[in-house]
Amino acid sequence: MITTTETEQIFGDIALWQSMLDRQRELFVEMEAGSRIGFVSREASGILPGKRLEGVQVAVEVPMLAWQVENGGMSAMIERFAGMASTRVDLLLVADEEAVATMRNELGGNMLKTIKRLIRHGNIMFFVFKNKAQLQDAGYEDFLDSLGLAFLGSCR
Amino acid sequence: MTKPGEAKLSHLFQPGQIGKFKTKNLVKYGACCVSNYNGRDGTITPRELARVRVIAGTGCGMITNQGAYPDPLGEGKSYFRQVAIHDDKFLPQFETIARYIHDAGAVAFQQILHAGRYGGIDLGYCVQPSVVPQTLPHFRPPRELTKAQIKVVIEQHADAARRAIRAGFDGTEITSFMGYLLANFNSRFTNQRTDEYGGSVENRGRFMRELIDAIKQATPDNPLSVRLNGAELMDRWGGNTQDESFELMQQAVDCGVEMISVTVGWQEAPESSFGRDVEPGYWNFLSAKAKKMFPNVLVAFGNRLPDPAMANDCIREGVFDYWEVCRPLLADPELIHKAAEDRMEEVRPCIGSLNCLSRLFRDLPYTCTMNPMLGHEVEPEYHVTEAKEKKRIMVIGAGPAGMEAAITARKRGHTVTVFEKADKIGGNLAAYASNDLARPVDLHSVIDYYAVMAKKLGVEVRLNTEANAKFMRSVLHEYDVCIVAAGARTDMAVFRYLENSELLIDALEVAHGRVKPGKRVVMIGGGMIGLTISEFLAKAGHEVTVIEQEKRIGGDIMPTFKWRHTAWVDELGIQTVTLAHLIKVSKEGATVKTAKGEEKFIPCDSVIVSSPRKANHDLFYEFQWMVDELHGGGDATVPRGLDAAIHEGYRLGVRI
Repeated sequence: MITTTETEQIFGDIALWQSMLDRQRELFVEMEAGSRIGFVSREASGILPGKRLEGVQVAVEVPMLAWQVENGGMSAMIERFAGMASTRVDLLLVADEEAVATMRNELGGNMLKTIKRLIRHGNIMFFVFKNKAQLQDAGYEDFLDSLGLAFLGSCR
Repeated sequence: MTKPGEAKLSHLFQPGQIGKFKTKNLVKYGACCVSNYNGRDGTITPRELARVRVIAGTGCGMITNQGAYPDPLGEGKSYFRQVAIHDDKFLPQFETIARYIHDAGAVAFQQILHAGRYGGIDLGYCVQPSVVPQTLPHFRPPRELTKAQIKVVIEQHADAARRAIRAGFDGTEITSFMGYLLANFNSRFTNQRTDEYGGSVENRGRFMRELIDAIKQATPDNPLSVRLNGAELMDRWGGNTQDESFELMQQAVDCGVEMISVTVGWQEAPESSFGRDVEPGYWNFLSAKAKKMFPNVLVAFGNRLPDPAMANDCIREGVFDYWEVCRPLLADPELIHKAAEDRMEEVRPCIGSLNCLSRLFRDLPYTCTMNPMLGHEVEPEYHVTEAKEKKRIMVIGAGPAGMEAAITARKRGHTVTVFEKADKIGGNLAAYASNDLARPVDLHSVIDYYAVMAKKLGVEVRLNTEANAKFMRSVLHEYDVCIVAAGARTDMAVFRYLENSELLIDALEVAHGRVKPGKRVVMIGGGMIGLTISEFLAKAGHEVTVIEQEKRIGGDIMPTFKWRHTAWVDELGIQTVTLAHLIKVSKEGATVKTAKGEEKFIPCDSVIVSSPRKANHDLFYEFQWMVDELHGGGDATVPRGLDAAIHEGYRLGVRI
């Protein structure tokens, strides 16, 4: 059972996440209802760099911050993460301890810019669970672009 | 007889040997990327054969034919029109390719490419050692290979190798570059298996060792090359460290491969491995390490190493044995011949724009910014042939489009004069090159090339000569053809109704260094030009805010380099406001209106306008009754980028 305290220790106040998402509303207007993005802590989930990505296959129940498109906006909610195989998200972001702390502290600011920077610096890994066409159809292009993620291949 | 360049680059041009096969020099044509010129079922097309004929003639001692997928289902197929080698029905065309290579005096290798994580393009899934989801949406969701399937994959590789040798190839190559199946097994990022194929480096390397053994048994008399990462650039995400990468190389060496080809990076790696922002020679240390560790095995290397002189030095210093080169030969297939003849100044430079890869990731055939002929070898219309009627051609504008048209037309026997209003050639490219944060020298090398070729071919270039109606009257009937390649300009007229519009600065004036903006700058337009100048200014200490009408900045930048610009924007602290347009300008700053209708004042000292751009096609109307043939090319028809300018200039040059 995941408690609110446990969740807030990791991600901070969920209401602040919701305020942040409301501020960035335009970014999500083209996204299909039901589109979902998840955040988990790398340490908690066991998806550790330099070791094995155990969270990929091993079910570990940890809190996941989920963003879900509903009622014309993006809602923040807390769910359980029990490994990648069973998770129901389109995009999963796995944040290390530094990234989680940074996000928690910068919730009042331009969080998407912060997330973009953390991805670029390797503090946040991301995985996609839908292919390009599905993500395009679901209206993800603007959101992915805002995070600096290469929508197409990025052989560089 | 030794040619002058061969004497200068004596290490590069010395003969070599791989297995029992002698090579005439130490240059290996690398199978750097697939062409996408072939049938959807993997059959080789006439377009491909014409292209391979050019590759065969590059003068390389060893030529690796592009990667073919080895399985009938296409799980290993990574690109839309990739070549297949899983059936004897493909043999005749591979025989033709092997013959082309041998006829040119080179040793022929066939690469077998199972793309693993990046494969399954027609299937909607890919196969991997473990189910590790994708980090790039371009690729397909993964399925885990069973042990029985691993055996099948290995046997398919052995069959493919056997088939390649039957077709007449001398050796084969397997590849982990850049994140394909071999890399997926080797890397702890994608290999999460708990059986004997996963876990320790020893176990992760088992697939590779079994693969090498199977191919060696299938083709015991033929050498095998293995492309392996010296650095994956995936270690921050849990991939292999460099030490592990070299441990895996050691395993390949212990299995008896004849050549290790050292590569760098995965497609999804978060940093550059061979883009224009990477200094040539940057990765040479990886090859040097491999050569030191494996002195008795041939080491090939070429990542971000476009210069034959540097390659020659590397061979002399024991950094590698074979210079593995591909993209510079896409840009100029004559590179090795020109190096041998000491004519390096005549080489069309590879500028690392990665247009080739940008196209592949749009499922298009690859092309090259610098080489308009690439991919059109099969079409007679693209070949430079002697003109039946020699004409007197005037070209207006000495930018890339005009210079390309001029030298191409001159090669065909026309008399060509270029008129340029500035005091040097290069047009606006020269200005933007000076503002480029990646490697200005790459862009300047394009201009240097045109200057050399114009002089060599006898193209007259008249600088400080502005073409207008009066000028045309003065040269009336002196020319049969006029090519307007006068480029594009910033469309300042769009803002003429704004109060104080005289305060606006044309981005071209800033790019050319004719106007120095103040400390705080607002840049109107977040496309390639606006960003390039903004980045340059921000690096020089200006505070820059970019205003873009579209939803995103960098919309006209190639996918392989867009990330670099957006990263610079962040790193340099450039502010961006999208979905907004300029509505007021004053000495105190700029006011923009957002899509929501909100007005926002941005204090600044200078407002620079980089967008919209307008083609300089006014001269068409001026000249249409003054010359027999009138053509337009490059930005003077529609403002675009460097590749469109060069390609259009060439197409005009070969058809007039």
